Amino acid sequence: MKRFLVFALVMVFAFGLALGQDKIKITFWHAMGGWRVPFIERMVEDFNLTHPWIEVTVEYKGSYTDTLNAALAAARAGAGPHVFHSFEVGTQLLVDSGIIVPLEDLIDKFNLIVPWEDYIDPVLNYYRIGGRLYCMPWNSSNPIVYYNKTIMDKLGIEVPRKPTYNDIYEISKKVVESGLAEYGITWPVHSWFFEQWMAEQGVDLVNNNNGRTGYATEINLLDPAAIRIVEWWKKLYDEGLWVSPGRSWSQARQIFVSGQSAMLISSTSDVTAMENAAVEQGFELGTAFLPVPDGIERHGVIIGGGALWVTKDHPDEELQAAAEFVVWMTQVAQTIRWHQGTGYFPIRKTALKALDMEGWFVRFPNYRTAFDQLIETQLITATQGALMGTFVEARSTILDAVEAVLAGEKGIEEALQEAKTLIDQSLQDYKELVGG
Amino acid sequence: MRSRFPNKWLPYLLLLPTLALCAIFLYYPVIQTFRLSTYRAILMGLHRKYVGFENYVRLFTSSDYIHSLTITFIFAVGVVVLGLSISLAIALLANHKIKGARFYRLLLIWPYALSPAVAGSIWLFLLNPTAGVVNYFMKSLFGISPDWLTDGRLALLAVTIAAMWKNLGYNIVFFLAGLQNLPGEILEAAKVDGAGPWTTFWRVTFPLLSPTTFFLLIMNLIYAFFGGFGLIMVMTEGGPNKATNILIFNLYQDAFRFHKWGLAAAQSVILFIMVVALTLIQFRTTGRRVHYGGQ
Repeated sequence: MKRFLVFALVMVFAFGLALGQDKIKITFWHAMGGWRVPFIERMVEDFNLTHPWIEVTVEYKGSYTDTLNAALAAARAGAGPHVFHSFEVGTQLLVDSGIIVPLEDLIDKFNLIVPWEDYIDPVLNYYRIGGRLYCMPWNSSNPIVYYNKTIMDKLGIEVPRKPTYNDIYEISKKVVESGLAEYGITWPVHSWFFEQWMAEQGVDLVNNNNGRTGYATEINLLDPAAIRIVEWWKKLYDEGLWVSPGRSWSQARQIFVSGQSAMLISSTSDVTAMENAAVEQGFELGTAFLPVPDGIERHGVIIGGGALWVTKDHPDEELQAAAEFVVWMTQVAQTIRWHQGTGYFPIRKTALKALDMEGWFVRFPNYRTAFDQLIETQLITATQGALMGTFVEARSTILDAVEAVLAGEKGIEEALQEAKTLIDQSLQDYKELVGG
Repeated sequence: MRSRFPNKWLPYLLLLPTLALCAIFLYYPVIQTFRLSTYRAILMGLHRKYVGFENYVRLFTSSDYIHSLTITFIFAVGVVVLGLSISLAIALLANHKIKGARFYRLLLIWPYALSPAVAGSIWLFLLNPTAGVVNYFMKSLFGISPDWLTDGRLALLAVTIAAMWKNLGYNIVFFLAGLQNLPGEILEAAKVDGAGPWTTFWRVTFPLLSPTTFFLLIMNLIYAFFGGFGLIMVMTEGGPNKATNILIFNLYQDAFRFHKWGLAAAQSVILFIMVVALTLIQFRTTGRRVHYGGQ
């Protein structure tokens, strides 16, 4: 009996080993910290369970910048991760990096079935370059207004669902005058908002159709649209209606949650966190569309966030496994779970329907705001988002200009002109180096 | 003093591992950095183009880089002057033989043991404009709540103080050691001659401490040039509007965020030259103007 047991054990072990060796091993690097780390690990675990022939190893690599740098360095050394996560502004750089294989190429090559018509168009559009989809959008979001409904109710203010710059100004003024909150509104000093407000006004951020029909060589910082944004921002700041949280997102959230500001503009991916915080702090949460300048048509928002990229130079079977994994991550069931867990969009129409049927939006109407804003977005190059190889640098330069204006060190046009000169130089250098 | 080695190749053989390590991890990268600084390069050098000295020309004609140089200078002077005077004062106090002196000394050294990230976060909490302790007192005492990290000048002041504070422990340890090694008989002689504590300090203690002070001066300068990075990264990211954008942060940003590798390499060469200069000054002046005791 004992001998049989040992034999059986050895057999099971050997069999297991054989199976284990057959597994296709791929690596996945992502850039989402905090509680999202175990959440993503759970999703990967589920993928591994349902795909016994594939083993995905997941690793959190730090910020988007860290992950991008690590992937570039590793890929150049021939040990790149099969799948990695990058932010939207790294898109052009990655396309030019030569370490990427366009996702659509893989899907065609391995005849994977992907119901593209079920994906929400504006989301895919960001990552379509020259008509080809380069990567899979994953954590997608856009900016909305969060407001403290308890304060607004006390003041008898009805925040419009689609507010204008002036609406926000007037509401902030009333709030501050009443003393119910120290400030009217806050948002992080981040160029993302500036870019969104350009898109809302239907103006491309850079030339060559927002860098979509050729390398961008000039940024539209002297467009009246750009000046309108900074003028409004400065007015709110000068009158003590907007408070600066610096460049920190968490600081902005904290100012709002602690009741020092009655409104906040932040990513829709904060809905879950804000809902929870509002319950804890005992106030009711409301949401509205991103405000636009008065008298300007609303064109919609750019889809922000990150996407999953596959690196080349791996054996075919590994590339196929990587593509399968990436597609699986955006299956209806996964996007629903991803949305409910994080607040990022489910990027599938069927997922939206399913969530709607289950009464999700009745229970959490604030999620609805984000979707409606996205679905009402017009498909134009402005809302498709700009492509720049030097996007990260441009963002920093734009912020320097905004900060100089807010601090009263420079006039609006002077600061924007200086920023434009610097950004244009970088864009042209990049074009010369990469595009020939 | 001829070599005691029986074989004249043996010493080189023994040195080989160290030399190899230096060659791989120091000399090779340094040469590569010099080379890269003559290129315009992105994506870790995937796309590159030889441009000669263009990167250097661009740096020294860029108002942003000159600004960064100025900021670094102010930051370094602040860190060194404030840091050395405060830590010397504290070391003098901590040198008194009182009850629990060892415990106090331990507490004084504490900040040095913190990682820059932790120290930066602590300062972020303290200086939080609306919920921080500093502004709580500012408001209740003076009725003001300054934007410590969003006002350019205040931000520079804040990071200077934070960086200075972070290095206090290091300075105190060296000053304490210096103070405890002072020859007792000279101090006693001063006392007998009727010198008060003030005169004793300036005429006896301070000159005798000069080797320590000089060593710390150089170390603090190097710290200000390079060690300030972590705090700046956590507290201000060089902002607002580049007000705390010291050279080392500018370099990091250009290389790892903006992918301008050639430009970053040129900056790294410039920093390299500065440190070489500092080190040369240290070597040259050591033992000249500095009083090294009676030996």
